[in-house]
Amino acid sequence: MMQIKITNPFAKFLVRIADSEIILGQRLAEMCSNAPTLEEDIALSNLGLDCFGRGEELMKLVSALENNAFTPDDCVFRRNEREYFCIKLVEQPNNDFAWVVVRQFLHDVYVTEIFKQLATNEHQELAALSQKVLKEIEYSKMHSFDWLVRLGRGTEESKMRTQNALNVMWKYTEELFLFDEIDKTYLSDTDAIAANWNLGVNEMFAAADLERPADKKRHILDFRKGFHSEFLGLILADMQYLPRAYPDAKW
Amino acid sequence: MVSTNLNEKEIWGWMTEVPDPEIPIINLVELGVIRAVNLKGNAVEIIITPTYTGCPAKQLFVDLISEKLVEKGINDFEVISRIHPVWTTDWLSEETKAKLLKDGISPPTVHNKKIICPHCKSYNTVLASQFGSTPCQSLYKCLECLEPFNYFKCL
Repeated sequence: MMQIKITNPFAKFLVRIADSEIILGQRLAEMCSNAPTLEEDIALSNLGLDCFGRGEELMKLVSALENNAFTPDDCVFRRNEREYFCIKLVEQPNNDFAWVVVRQFLHDVYVTEIFKQLATNEHQELAALSQKVLKEIEYSKMHSFDWLVRLGRGTEESKMRTQNALNVMWKYTEELFLFDEIDKTYLSDTDAIAANWNLGVNEMFAAADLERPADKKRHILDFRKGFHSEFLGLILADMQYLPRAYPDAKW
Repeated sequence: MVSTNLNEKEIWGWMTEVPDPEIPIINLVELGVIRAVNLKGNAVEIIITPTYTGCPAKQLFVDLISEKLVEKGINDFEVISRIHPVWTTDWLSEETKAKLLKDGISPPTVHNKKIICPHCKSYNTVLASQFGSTPCQSLYKCLECLEPFNYFKCL
């Protein structure tokens, strides 16, 4: 069996973002043909493509940093749960359309702040990719923001379900800001990420008339060390089945 | 057999014969995807850039370019994708935008403002859905002729 070892610290940093994008892409792909309207089906599939595109480009950088010891595909399809470093937020299931929208918004605001700082990175390709992602993700953020306003200010039912989604997802936002030494090496100002994220979500809470859930100190093990929610294993089982069962499959 | 008097200009010409797989009315040079053509002895190096990072046609660009080069008798080549400098819809020339409009796709405008209907040329148009048939397009509706149309998003 192939061993995928990521040892370069820059690659370790990038794979966290790459993994989060791939897993969110997979979650969005599950919505294809399951969204409430045809337009939404197309929108969510498009957002999923964006995530996969970003994830793929980042994985290429990761592979290159590891002297091409493995390909981006190996990295996605041949790592186990504990070898993945995505944030738990993106693993959360599509229980309800409100879950999809809340998850997307919280993610979009967070990665926007990350890519803003990477847009001036000395690695030219990463900087260029980040500049591109920033433009693309604006469309996604606009989309999830609009939906949150519509749901939050819609009916009693839509409000209740959106607030519920927020309350559930909120516990997975704390770990986003527990930056370690690796993060601090490649991000120029980690405090600004938390501050701007708070501004962004508070603006949404006001516009959508939703309540900001209380911050509670929880003991959830960090994604940076490969700890995940119960859902990642199931996602990987689904996502990796074919390449693992038929390792040389091509289409 | 590779002709010995192969030059970069000729290869640029071949590249204009490669249509964009999703919007075949324009070619990859007009789209701004082909960034450089380098000749290293008899080896050809083509530098391309992706339009949208999630564009499903990314791999197809490489395949179509490779096919074209093989068709022209070139076997020693490499197609390299680079993100820097970042592709932008600003690279579409006025002629290319006119071609898009003629083909029924409203061309990108600054900040996605003043969007023209490709059917009746009215500016009285409204967004129907931010996301359309390809990652680079949104769906709009004309309030004059009531026809729906695709709009190439500004990036």
